[in-house]
Amino acid sequence: MDATTAMYVTQGIHGLAYGMVLFLVASGLTLIFGMMGILNIAHAAFFMLSAYFAYQTVDWTGSFWLALLFAPIVTGLFGVFVERFFLRKVHALGHTAELILTVGFMLVIMEAVKIFWGTESLYVSVPPMLKGLVDMGGMDYPIYRFFIIALTVVVLLFLAFILYKTRLGMVVRAAVSDAEMVNALGINVPLLFMFVFGVGSWLAGLAGVTVAPILSVFPGLADQMGMDSFIVVIVGGFGSLGGAFLVAMICGLMSSFGVQFFSSLAPVLMFVFMAVVLAFKPTGFFGERES
Amino acid sequence: MIRSYQWMLFCLIALVLAFYPYIFGPYYTNVLVNFGIFALYGVSFNLLLGYTGLLSLGHAMYFGTGGYTAALALTHIEGCPLLFALLLGFIASIAVALILCPIVARVGGAAFSMLHLAFGMLMHILALKLRSITGGEDGIGGFPIPSLSIPGIVSIDMTDPVNFFYFAVIVIGGSLWLTWFFTKTPFGQIVISVRDNAKRVDYMGFKVTQSKAVVYTFAAGFAGIAGAVYAMFQDLISADGALGIQNSFQAILITMVGGTGSFFGPLWGSAIFTFIEEMTIRYFEHVELVMGLLLITVIMFFPKGFSGGLQALKNKWWTRRQGTQRRRISNEYP
Repeated sequence: MDATTAMYVTQGIHGLAYGMVLFLVASGLTLIFGMMGILNIAHAAFFMLSAYFAYQTVDWTGSFWLALLFAPIVTGLFGVFVERFFLRKVHALGHTAELILTVGFMLVIMEAVKIFWGTESLYVSVPPMLKGLVDMGGMDYPIYRFFIIALTVVVLLFLAFILYKTRLGMVVRAAVSDAEMVNALGINVPLLFMFVFGVGSWLAGLAGVTVAPILSVFPGLADQMGMDSFIVVIVGGFGSLGGAFLVAMICGLMSSFGVQFFSSLAPVLMFVFMAVVLAFKPTGFFGERES
Repeated sequence: MIRSYQWMLFCLIALVLAFYPYIFGPYYTNVLVNFGIFALYGVSFNLLLGYTGLLSLGHAMYFGTGGYTAALALTHIEGCPLLFALLLGFIASIAVALILCPIVARVGGAAFSMLHLAFGMLMHILALKLRSITGGEDGIGGFPIPSLSIPGIVSIDMTDPVNFFYFAVIVIGGSLWLTWFFTKTPFGQIVISVRDNAKRVDYMGFKVTQSKAVVYTFAAGFAGIAGAVYAMFQDLISADGALGIQNSFQAILITMVGGTGSFFGPLWGSAIFTFIEEMTIRYFEHVELVMGLLLITVIMFFPKGFSGGLQALKNKWWTRRQGTQRRRISNEYP
């Protein structure tokens, strides 16, 4: 394989891995939006919080696998706590109040993290099993990135199974398209929403743990992921999982190839993409409603 | 009676402001200028949130645009008058708003918020990356602050804090008056009805999207003025300070804490904000934590903010003096 092809393949897999992680974060966001009509600004902060939890677990127990198991669960429980005791109480005040409440949580989490763990970068090492490179016809590629892609695919297939093949998934999808009607049919929508919020936070948490070894853990971790996941949700169309998946992949590839070809202006590329899409279709690719 | 009471209040405020620097000294003069800048910034934000119902998560981009434009004008244009730099800041913010209008005025709700988050970040990144123009992380600082002069008549030295204080009071006061006047015009009333029921306004033959675009541009321009005064006041404008996401959230905080329901809400918000910042920054470096907790508390327990609380107190006080009314209200809310 010559150098140019190797570059394309490497950047392609890079982008795929990032796109997968992006979709883990964005899928929770878009589901929550579909059910309740709010975008959780603190979602990316949950993602970062989970990375810190993972660091702490590895620090205490030395096991990455325990971190992968527990950090997302703790994050999910924290999400449930936020929904049950805060978000639900301001629901009557309308979407703007809920949005601002999540802004408040974002500020608190961002600063609390600095108080507990300091501002410097913390490193989580890749577990020994996944260290090393894999040989792909003349070029080496780190195994860990393949692990990220595989893990994400497994989780997403499992979620897709629940969402499209079970009764619970059917109810969730129905609530996403019309929460009021589902409530009127006698299903406890607030409970359902709490559950979805928890699962969404869990997904963000899972993404946080998986990226901890490659990006290191620092207070700015939420910024990039937060922006990208919001763009994915907007461009893909609010509440649309398929749209989110498509756009997450486009964004992942765009950011990895953008860094290759434009380097310094790569972050701008994503915004231009979003502006162009929204100028022609304000609801995003697969979106049906505006707000 | 109400009218004469308002005039008395106005004269009292003018009198206090006129002698303020001589009573409280230079430190608190600067605190008051800071309060005024963020009050104007909050009021311009409230034009969107309170009057149009549009929550922008990137209002700092207009604050920053105004500030950077004024700073660039003062740095690069030889002998640029102070008022001209201010005007340029105003115009630049309006220009940016006009460029974004075709995209943002068509959407509402969460899409509007998210788009602003994205564009705000974009401006921040651009300010950091275009190092040759904006100076990157360091920003632009140390530019000359020219004297305010009317040729042949008078020249006032603006590097003197007391003179700058009067300048800031006049500029900010004038801008506040203009925005207040704007909300009282028939067009301002249409804007409020767009918030409450956009569909009906559309049926009545008013143009909803265009109305939103006009008020959006207006709000952007006044945020630009706040930014320009800020740049002149600090003699420095930096990417993180002016364009950072924290500054956008600051606008939300000021408006929510003060109360979105009234025009003067953000003034209270700015006062509370300045007070808390003055208090906490001496003992505790994580001011944002305090701000986040404050925001959560306000949303949870006082959704109408400080001015909403004042209004409730005023109603209570007013009805206590008029027994019949109180009885009627107490029947309604047992």
